[in-house]
Amino acid sequence: MSATAEILAQVNRLPAFPTSAARLAELLHDDRAGAAEVEKVIRPDPALTANLLRMACAPYFSPRSRPETVRQAVTLLGVKRTFEIATGAALSSLIPARLPGYDLEARSFWLHCVAVAVFSERLGRETGNRSPDLLFTAGLLHDVGKLVISTFVFRQARAILLKSRLGMDFAAAEREVLGVDHAEIGAQVAEIWKLPEPVVLAARWHHRPMQAPAEVDRTLVSLVHLADALAISLGLGCDAGELARAIDPEVLGSLGIRVRRMEFVASEGLDAVHELAAALGEVREVAK
Amino acid sequence: MSTVTIEISDLKVSSKSDDLLITYALGSCIAVIVHDPVRKVGGMIHYMLPLSEIAPEKAIDRPAMFADTGIPELFRSMYGMGCDKKNLVVKVAGGGALYDDKGLFNIGKRNYTVLRKMFWKAGVIIASEDVGGAKSRTARLWVGDGRCTIACQGEEVEL
Repeated sequence: MSATAEILAQVNRLPAFPTSAARLAELLHDDRAGAAEVEKVIRPDPALTANLLRMACAPYFSPRSRPETVRQAVTLLGVKRTFEIATGAALSSLIPARLPGYDLEARSFWLHCVAVAVFSERLGRETGNRSPDLLFTAGLLHDVGKLVISTFVFRQARAILLKSRLGMDFAAAEREVLGVDHAEIGAQVAEIWKLPEPVVLAARWHHRPMQAPAEVDRTLVSLVHLADALAISLGLGCDAGELARAIDPEVLGSLGIRVRRMEFVASEGLDAVHELAAALGEVREVAK
Repeated sequence: MSTVTIEISDLKVSSKSDDLLITYALGSCIAVIVHDPVRKVGGMIHYMLPLSEIAPEKAIDRPAMFADTGIPELFRSMYGMGCDKKNLVVKVAGGGALYDDKGLFNIGKRNYTVLRKMFWKAGVIIASEDVGGAKSRTARLWVGDGRCTIACQGEEVEL
């Protein structure tokens, strides 16, 4: 079996996404779904309930009041926000202690995921009313493919690192050596988990936003690309690839975001990143 | 030996000779590492951005986030420990860059440019530095003897 085929086979062996979180994704499409329906899905799952509430209390999501019940959380935050938080809580239980191919501990992987989620959302605000839906979740899950591909990257680490240190984008080096990269694998994982389309697209195109087909929301994939670059550049959850990431030269212009505004987003978002990463860390402890 | 970690947008000084000051994952951020071999005092800042004008209120809260507010604060803290400017050994690490041919995303370069301007104005000489490249660096300073190392791409070298 080729390396690519072996990796693709592995996608199907990843643990299932918790049913309750997947059911929440379905409710997103139902305009009539209210607090009662959401509560009905979450309440039977005690781990999700506890983790959802723990995260929902973070000032990033609830700056003014702290929800104490699922019903309160949904009423306060809305169905979409509850889904975003529940997805983070659900995913946290699936992260292994270490991702060897990326030389990453779980804590650093989460720090990076959270940083990209927060930066994607804050950069989205810079685009005004063009800001796409579900940016937080799309950012949070952009690297989910690393969970599958990490052991394969580890086996070929020398070849991949050699290329990336000579000037090649790390994901491009993965494609050259393994025949597929963590972005494509991440999109396939998100599809299997039946996560909403923005999550699938951000995972697939976050390294090559301008190569996405015309029907893809370029604003969405460009924002996650930029947020990822910002987080990597600032060392928030930096991995074995270090800074070997190519920036798409057209992204800043197409979004109309200037570097100074990006710096502002970094300065305003840093505390939220650390606060949410700590909340997710607690969720992980509970999940173990 | 006790390890003192300097987080992003933070600075610390120490006069305990068995302290090791350490900061991780310097990408485009910069660490200024200062040591006074006479007083045996060490200090380190891990700043994230060049100029505080983009978020002045944040700079009041977290001066170490920016070069222009953080670096003077680091030197003031060293002077507060009885150090003399003429004895200070100053080293610099970080300021890395992504693969960005058009230089659109130049936070690391701007971080370094602002530092050079400030040091030129203040007459501070850089004893050694390791800056730029698509690298993530970890900087260590042993307060007792002023030894300083940079770990990067699987290797650790003296700075």
